[in-house]
Amino acid sequence: MKGSTRNLLVGVAYVVLLGGLLWLAQSTLNNYYLRILAVIGINIILTVSLNLTNGFTGDFSLGIAAFMAIGAYTAALLSLPVAMKTASFPGLPEWLQGIAAPFLPATIAGGLLAAGVAALVGVPVLRLRGHYLAVATLGLMVIVRIVANNWQDVTRGARGINGLPPVSNIWWTFGWAVITIYVVWMIVNSPYGRAMIGVREDWLAAQARGVRLLRTRMLAFTISAFFAGVAGALWAHLITAITPSSFSFVITFNIVVMLVVGGMGSITGSVLGAVLLTLLPEGLRQVETALASGGAPVYGLSQIIIALLAALVMIFRRQGLFGGKELRLPGMVERE
Amino acid sequence: MFTPTYVVQQIINGVNLGSMYALIAIGLTIVYGLLRLINFAHGDLMMLGAYLGLLLLSATFTPLLLTLLIPMLVIGFVGVLVERVAYRPLRGAPEVTMLITSLAVSSIIENTMVMSVTAQPRAFTLPPGVNQLHTVAGVSFSTLDVVTVALSVTLMTALTLYIRMSRTGIAMRAAAENLRAARLMGIDINRVVMVAFFLGSALAAVAGWLWAAKYSTVEPFMGFLPGLKAFVAAVIGGIGVIPGAMLGGYLLGFAEIFFVGFLPPAFSGYRDAFVFALLLIILLIRPNGILGTATDERA
Amino acid sequence: MRHTWKLLSLLVVMSLLLAACATPVAAPAGAPAAATQAAGEEAAASGEAIKIGALYGVTGGMSSIDEPGLNGFKLAAKQINEAGGINGRMVEVVAIDGKSDQTATTSAATELIEVHKVVAIGGLNDSTFALAAGPLAQAAGIPFVTAGATLPTLPEQIGDYFFMAPFGDDAQAYAIADYAMNELGAKSAYMLVDQAYDFTTALARFFKERWEANGGTIVLEDTYNSGDTDFSAQIARVKALDPQPDVLFISAIPNEAGITTKQFREAGLAQPILSGDGFDTPLIGEVAGELADAVYYSTHASLDNAAENVQAFVSAYEAEYGRKPENAFAALGYDTMNLIADAIRRAGSTDPAAIRDALAATQGFQAVTGVISYPEGERKPTKSVTIIQVQDGVYSFAAEVQP
Repeated sequence: MKGSTRNLLVGVAYVVLLGGLLWLAQSTLNNYYLRILAVIGINIILTVSLNLTNGFTGDFSLGIAAFMAIGAYTAALLSLPVAMKTASFPGLPEWLQGIAAPFLPATIAGGLLAAGVAALVGVPVLRLRGHYLAVATLGLMVIVRIVANNWQDVTRGARGINGLPPVSNIWWTFGWAVITIYVVWMIVNSPYGRAMIGVREDWLAAQARGVRLLRTRMLAFTISAFFAGVAGALWAHLITAITPSSFSFVITFNIVVMLVVGGMGSITGSVLGAVLLTLLPEGLRQVETALASGGAPVYGLSQIIIALLAALVMIFRRQGLFGGKELRLPGMVERE
Repeated sequence: MFTPTYVVQQIINGVNLGSMYALIAIGLTIVYGLLRLINFAHGDLMMLGAYLGLLLLSATFTPLLLTLLIPMLVIGFVGVLVERVAYRPLRGAPEVTMLITSLAVSSIIENTMVMSVTAQPRAFTLPPGVNQLHTVAGVSFSTLDVVTVALSVTLMTALTLYIRMSRTGIAMRAAAENLRAARLMGIDINRVVMVAFFLGSALAAVAGWLWAAKYSTVEPFMGFLPGLKAFVAAVIGGIGVIPGAMLGGYLLGFAEIFFVGFLPPAFSGYRDAFVFALLLIILLIRPNGILGTATDERA
Repeated sequence: MRHTWKLLSLLVVMSLLLAACATPVAAPAGAPAAATQAAGEEAAASGEAIKIGALYGVTGGMSSIDEPGLNGFKLAAKQINEAGGINGRMVEVVAIDGKSDQTATTSAATELIEVHKVVAIGGLNDSTFALAAGPLAQAAGIPFVTAGATLPTLPEQIGDYFFMAPFGDDAQAYAIADYAMNELGAKSAYMLVDQAYDFTTALARFFKERWEANGGTIVLEDTYNSGDTDFSAQIARVKALDPQPDVLFISAIPNEAGITTKQFREAGLAQPILSGDGFDTPLIGEVAGELADAVYYSTHASLDNAAENVQAFVSAYEAEYGRKPENAFAALGYDTMNLIADAIRRAGSTDPAAIRDALAATQGFQAVTGVISYPEGERKPTKSVTIIQVQDGVYSFAAEVQP
């Protein structure tokens, strides 16, 4: 059997296995754990897609919350029931008022719009590198947030949009997470991915070898933005209420920490970082809650411990838990 | 509506805000120049400086000058300590690694403060009579405004002279130019970095004190936004270049005040969007900041 | 082989983590053994503690008002237990930190409902978080009482299990607008609005609505964003107005209350300053000192109120935490817990649906922040609004307005 065919079959088997596990979770766990699992799925999408720019291409982007916001608002505006729209959004264009799109197309639209904005912004912004790029993308986040705060007709400003259908669940978030991992993995292992890594390692040499810098970086930037937009849409329909302040620095930083702790340039590391840094704060919070009931409130301790752990990982394993390595799933054949 | 007095008034406000941004930005830029570290904990040191100042102010017997000098010294050493514990083990690590560590340090400082002094905003008031309001030809300014500008300019001049003239200053510039070569030349890098952290943190403490006095309030998260904006200022000016940080700080201060002051009220809400849009434009024209030199900037 | 080992150890760590998360939190000392989650009815028979959830953002951006809120909430529970509990059963407050973050707040709400099996939840002082957590309690059929979120449409938007302990922003904005017109004789107003918060924009919207409906004029509407330290540009625009407005309405959160007052007064603007409960902070007097003059704001309670229950609360709070209540949200947290306890007492059951019905039937409940009654079919209380006046930096009770 050819390696690629075999890998495809094995891959499908793993997806089926994951589906089985999710089904098991769905039928045995209560809503609290299902919710945490759904959040894990979203964080995997965000971390893996951020890895494409920050890890593989070496462009340090901090704009993830901006793309999430675009995806979330777009999907929310599409999926909101018509009756609610006419009541809450008198200023919305007619054609949009009459639509109540199903979740999947709304999510995809959110991702596409985020990618579109990324493509538009990318032309000027990707002329920058390093920390200049980081600040520019951070600026993009601030701008998106302030536009959301002031564009009353469409976003309702600081009031935000609430009462979204709570359709997001583990099936959606993990479904998209699998797609994200697959797409990023395919890209990284394609000539495009080699070009990206080339740009990261030595852009001059890469350019000399015929890699088109801007196009390569743009590809990473837009695809990453697409999935961030999708994650934003999923998040919005999990929380069901979004405001401009939902998409703050905090989200960006959390995802960056997941990425770096897991190990930049490793998809496995991203997944692991997302899982670990979603579960750990939740677990520590339970300790806090138990201590508080015992009469010793120590709220804030969990944040300190997480920060301490992140610092320790950085100090003693600066390449992150997985370095640049990937975990090879048993049964998969190396393609080279 | 834009009478000359109004314009002068806005210029005074701009200089004031700019001075504070510049003070914070300098600390960020010196450290960045040496270590390529964006120190996200810098704004938190500013916050600590303000709290320490408040503590000293509430003890009535402390002379006013000391309420400023003691935080400078103490926060300077806190900065050195943070470097020693959190950043030195990471010397030579990728920039992102250091950035994450500084985020962690920031989170630790903020949450420790929330847990120990609570998040209640506290009034930061100067002793009565110290901060008077003066009006000259219709333009009003406070004693604090004068002190802010005078102090910032003095400190910045002193720092510039120090970096230019002193042995450590020269060593610092050499290390910023090329860390490895400087070490080969016999420069004690650890010492240079320590001095840089001390100076930067002391300036942050001053900025914190002034900020708190201007805003009359301290709270544990007060350092975040100024820290971030100061970083923007440093980037606008050309990060790693000390005069760039000053220039960037003042530019940012003016930009913010003028934007609110000279556009219709409906635009006031867009202030920060405008600031960042300006940043993008400057970076597109001068990708290394205004005073930055073209280098192979690699993330 | 090394690779396999690494993988294995990782898996072990992960499963331990999952296990740690999945283990129900052990019952705290003092409470009867409650490790096994029993349904409400079984619990009633055994006389074990009634679990009530407290959901607050004790860390992060909301902490300055949520932490006093939680303190008030816990103080009420402590007093209830000292007085013998509710219908003979102790109260156990399960307090989870929502971290002022929507994701964390919603997981915390689900955790309270699904893991701790609380019979009711109270807390949250901001509509952003109430709108995210409320629907979860609604879907699970658990009553949720917001302690301090004042968006008046919350109960309608979320559903019949959602109650407000405070009045709505409409009530407090109308109260201060009426007071300024009737008592201060004002006709024209200037508005300065913080654009960053749902609360500040809503308050301004209701103020304007009432003001204009009563024939007043708004001469200028200006904005800023929370975190701004300098209002000189806005002040200069007010000074350029001719004729000058009669009053200055400032819609701000506590952090900006002192500084705006100070800067407006320093600039020589002497008109009365009006605001809502965002101004309920000692910062006005502390920051502006003697300049804090002719400031009027509407809020939930005056802690100087000589009423017995108010003074009892203030001294109990001081005895418990070593400081006076930081702001009105401490009193609201205290009232929220007592309101829930009162409903459970009247319901005579810990069945969430019965508690909901009892809550909805609340009439004339004597709270620190006023008398709470829910009109038929509404879950926003009719409640009196207190107007506080600040003169020479000293706060005093000015009026009580019945909506």
